[in-house]
Amino acid sequence: MTEKLILAVPSKGRLMEQAAAALAAAGLDVRKTGSERGYRGEIEGMNGVEVAFVSSAEIVRLLKDGEVHLGIAGEDLVREQIIDADARVEMVRPLGFGFADVVVAVPQCWLDIAAMTDLREMAPLFHRRHHRRLRVATKYMNLTRAFFREKGVGDYRIVESLGATEGTPAAGTADLIVDITTTGRTLRANGLKVLADGVILKSQANLIASRGAHWSDGARRAREVIVARFSPTEPPSNPPP
Amino acid sequence: MAAETARQFEALERQAQTLMAVFTGAGYEAVAPAIIQPADVFLDVVGEELRARTYVFTDPDGAELCLRPDLTVPTCLLHLARHGQADVVARYCYNGPAFRFQPRGIDAAHPNEFRQAGIELFAEADRERGETEVMALILEALRRAGLREFSVRIGDLGLFQALIDALDLPERGRQRLRAQFWRHDAFRAELKRLSTPAAQATGAIDKALAARIAGMGRKQATLVVSEQLAANGIELIGSRSLEEITEGLLAAVADTRAEPVAAATIGLIETYLQIAGPARLARDRIEALMRQHQVNVGPALARYGRRLELFAAAGIEVDALAFSAEFGRNLEYYTGLVFEVVTPALGSFSPIAGGGRYDRLLAAVGAGAEVPAVGSAIHTERLLSAVNGGGR
Repeated sequence: MTEKLILAVPSKGRLMEQAAAALAAAGLDVRKTGSERGYRGEIEGMNGVEVAFVSSAEIVRLLKDGEVHLGIAGEDLVREQIIDADARVEMVRPLGFGFADVVVAVPQCWLDIAAMTDLREMAPLFHRRHHRRLRVATKYMNLTRAFFREKGVGDYRIVESLGATEGTPAAGTADLIVDITTTGRTLRANGLKVLADGVILKSQANLIASRGAHWSDGARRAREVIVARFSPTEPPSNPPP
Repeated sequence: MAAETARQFEALERQAQTLMAVFTGAGYEAVAPAIIQPADVFLDVVGEELRARTYVFTDPDGAELCLRPDLTVPTCLLHLARHGQADVVARYCYNGPAFRFQPRGIDAAHPNEFRQAGIELFAEADRERGETEVMALILEALRRAGLREFSVRIGDLGLFQALIDALDLPERGRQRLRAQFWRHDAFRAELKRLSTPAAQATGAIDKALAARIAGMGRKQATLVVSEQLAANGIELIGSRSLEEITEGLLAAVADTRAEPVAAATIGLIETYLQIAGPARLARDRIEALMRQHQVNVGPALARYGRRLELFAAAGIEVDALAFSAEFGRNLEYYTGLVFEVVTPALGSFSPIAGGGRYDRLLAAVGAGAEVPAVGSAIHTERLLSAVNGGGR
């Protein structure tokens, strides 16, 4: 087992650009090692740190299993993919980008449904009337279950959706959705509205530490250095579009 | 189980033969429904809580499938495949694996793969007789497998339904109490709301619209709602009709005007749900409580009494049965009698067998109407452990 601290950062998409900018703003100069297409890197001036470039979903898994020490990922993915998230990982610093709210959204035409309590009461009536449960399209199955349980909504079932979730109510494959939104524009364009108390999680990218990783003295010291660079009082600003 | 030894496998096989011999000897046909089930039907029926514990997967052809989390639904599907309306009397028994994810981790009493041996009795019109037959047969099977020390808990969800039907409640409140029975917090919230003077019940719903349709008939209100949608450029999407949405609005408006339910009525529901004790004594207490409140629960209480008499006639030790009005509140598909067999060694959180009446399940999986159904399953690994004096 290497004594080095392994930091996992997103390898593609907008989150990759934003994470790279955040690291740069924190004065951490990340460079890929080996070939240009390599998935390993290092931080200038920090010999005890190895950088791994992997997909966001993979970062969460690696953190959960303790295969990397630190990682950058959205809180939404962490809470969705790790059932006992707080026992497995620690949210060290919010990073000020990757903002997304995980919300419960229903058709705007449901004038009688404005809050989760309305949904709770309507669900069993819907079940009796339509001889099936309300269908909730989402890729956030665990977050949805936990939130609906907390709000006492029981008569529903989840339809797993891995894309274009916001279109499912109009298409008739689901009745409502749980999805991420930043401005709400996409939801409105699809004839949906967010319930008054329907915000499940206000998520953003975080610097996350694995509780299950092997923390050698060297790794601990490297962590302190990295965390100190992400000062909580001066969150890195969003990169220019 | 991954770590199952050859010896335990043999012991479970021998035990299964004993159990199945008892079942088939009583006229139950041995069936072996498929382990892999279509996810869709299954998940629509069992609800999201059990779904969270079901292993669901997609095959290379794109079909959504699951490993059965129990054998009751597969047996219902099998019966339905044979008889389209499912209304033919049938007795089935089975022994085979079922699979459940254990969110709090796997241990000997909570494996993610276990074997159920059980029976299902469909379309028996004499409900109490059917229930007696099933419970007596399960207890007989347990005894023949060598179980000596155990106790039986019973509940009666039909009695609760009858109570709610008999009380002086606004219809919408009644419907909500029935629907929320399974969720303690929501149920308590509903009781509280029914007992407080209406005021803020519309919550976040558009107050101007609520005021406009108040007092209107359904047709007229539907028209107003339709205009409201058009004026705001809102399209009608999804499966709920304009009438359905309007009904929801009218009901919400009615809630704000409803008289609060009498405190005595709310108290009666709460008192009833606290009743627990020996089955015969519980019957007397329920009867006294209903008389005191002058509530007539109709034939439900007589059925409860008749069931106990049939139990006694079938050799079940009725004095040892413990009734609890709350029991069964976490088992959403049951509709009448519920029972559970527990042993001192394994404790009440790990029942060895459980079962009850579930008259809506066959309709939910495709029968044209409700069909009387009662069944029970034995958790065979737990039974073996209890018989061997296992302290787990």
